[in-house]
Amino acid sequence: MLKPEEYFAPLPPEDRDTEFIAVETRSFGRNVWDSFSKNRLALLGLVCLALIVLTALIGPLLTPYPYDGMDALARNQGSSAAHLFGTDQMGRDIFTRVLYGTRVSLMVGFASTALNLVIGVLYGGIAGYVGGRTDMIMMRIVDVIYAVPAMIYMILLMLIFGSNVYSVMLGICINGWVNMARIVRSQVMSLKEQEFAVAAFVIGADRRRILFRHLLLNCLGPVIVTVTLMIPQAIFTEAFLSFIGIGISAPMASLGTLAQDAKMLMNVYPMQMVWPVLMICIVIFSLNFIAEGLETALDPRGRRP
Amino acid sequence: MTEPVIRVQQLEKRFHIRSGSLGKKGVVHAVNGVSLEIGKGETLGLVGESGCGKSTLGRTILKVYEPDAGRIFCDGTDITGFSHRQMRPWRKKMQMIFQDPYASLNPRFTVGELIAEPMKIYESCSPQEQTERVQELLRTVGLKPDHIRRYPHEFSGGQRQRIGIARALALEPEFIVCDEPISALDVSIQAQIVGLLERIQDEKELSYLFIAHDLTMVRHISHRIGVMYMGALVEIGPADEVCQHPLHPYTRLLMSAVPVPDPVRARQQKRILPEGEVPSPIDLPPGCPFSPRCPYATEQCRCAVPPLRETGGRQVACFL
Repeated sequence: MLKPEEYFAPLPPEDRDTEFIAVETRSFGRNVWDSFSKNRLALLGLVCLALIVLTALIGPLLTPYPYDGMDALARNQGSSAAHLFGTDQMGRDIFTRVLYGTRVSLMVGFASTALNLVIGVLYGGIAGYVGGRTDMIMMRIVDVIYAVPAMIYMILLMLIFGSNVYSVMLGICINGWVNMARIVRSQVMSLKEQEFAVAAFVIGADRRRILFRHLLLNCLGPVIVTVTLMIPQAIFTEAFLSFIGIGISAPMASLGTLAQDAKMLMNVYPMQMVWPVLMICIVIFSLNFIAEGLETALDPRGRRP
Repeated sequence: MTEPVIRVQQLEKRFHIRSGSLGKKGVVHAVNGVSLEIGKGETLGLVGESGCGKSTLGRTILKVYEPDAGRIFCDGTDITGFSHRQMRPWRKKMQMIFQDPYASLNPRFTVGELIAEPMKIYESCSPQEQTERVQELLRTVGLKPDHIRRYPHEFSGGQRQRIGIARALALEPEFIVCDEPISALDVSIQAQIVGLLERIQDEKELSYLFIAHDLTMVRHISHRIGVMYMGALVEIGPADEVCQHPLHPYTRLLMSAVPVPDPVRARQQKRILPEGEVPSPIDLPPGCPFSPRCPYATEQCRCAVPPLRETGGRQVACFL
């Protein structure tokens, strides 16, 4: 048996006054990735999205046809070696058009979300941080913008600027940033009362530094989740607009336009409709799975101690 | 006498409150005419019940809140009206240690970034010097220099408080407001942190405004103790004097609430129990704020506010 004094050994002199941590250091990003990669659906979504983005980027290299090249001799064909997804009623290769359509749809989704992100975070951050009367006025403006249905803005914009990618993007952004602004504002409002914000003030940080380095950096989680949900929403809105015929017009094509083109012959050639719709589904599902995975991964309560 | 590091005269801080956007307006007198001085290397303990304005006083002195009346002098300079920009050189002299070691450290920063931030803001030294300085500070507060890349959530409460102290020391201040730095910690850790604060004070001749609930700890660390009630100082004087011979009835009440570690003596000691309700700070009673609860209150107490009077080396705000 051990004697009491043998249970313990004296610390080496240099460690006497210190405490130490045994666990390996894990950065924030590392923690999030560990948790994210445990979610199989989210990982699948990420892989699918990566593949789709890649094919959309290198699209023209994968197909011998231009996106608006018509071939009167090969109309409404089924799938074959020459035309992977068949051709439409004007003899255009559907595979090529889906590639280009995905490109347009993704571009609309990402670009409008990026714009929403910048405007929403700045607006919400400033409103939440300054507070008081400024906040009141800024948020009432937001309420007014939010009160008018998005579809009205979009249709009006289409009338003024014509049906093109940019007016669709503008239409999505005109009230898309409102959600982001609200989320960021409420986060900033609760964060600025925390002691670390007071601490930053006491060490002499100026307002800009407190807002960007201390408050907005800590909103990162909810902001990322909102962004991943905004992208599919934007893609869906664009597809919807194109489908009802006020979005992107020929010869440019988005996935929604392709579905709209196929609508007329849906009873005879249903496959022409299936391809673009399938693509929309995959993109939106992937993004939603990613969002869900990120939401659990970024939740501070779920983080390991 | 040399100029005190911090001198506060008749400081007042009011908060306007409203219930709902159209509700009744009210004013909370969080700090109500407080005057005090803190000399070089001195610790002034500040005690009082929750909500009596201790923390607000500490934060108002550091100009986190703008004072509504009164003056604040730092090293003899009136800093009351200074803007945040004008305050910059003075911020180096006055720092703060916070109550909650979990909320006071930005969770997205590493320890190195946290402690180096004040140096970055003042651009006082190069990046290499910063790293060296951070490591030196970590050693000073009893952490290892190789903790520099870790995140606050990897540390225990006591260790986080050490990080907070290191950050406060980064600018080599002369005066630190310790806003209940030990009340969120375990008892064994409390002693370590208080010991650390005392050691640093001896080394750097710092002045502390030490805000706390724990009366025995305050008595241990402070040279002088101020007792606050409803935003006003009711008694201020040398620590042992105030603790052993409290003069103001409220101080007596507080001191009788201190647990005695000896059960036999504890049974003999008579506990003064307060009568009545704590008045709402929104509408203060006229006269002495303690009069509704004071067993000795007279008609005079209910009508007029007693001023702080000099009695035997200390000041008491009581007519008796």
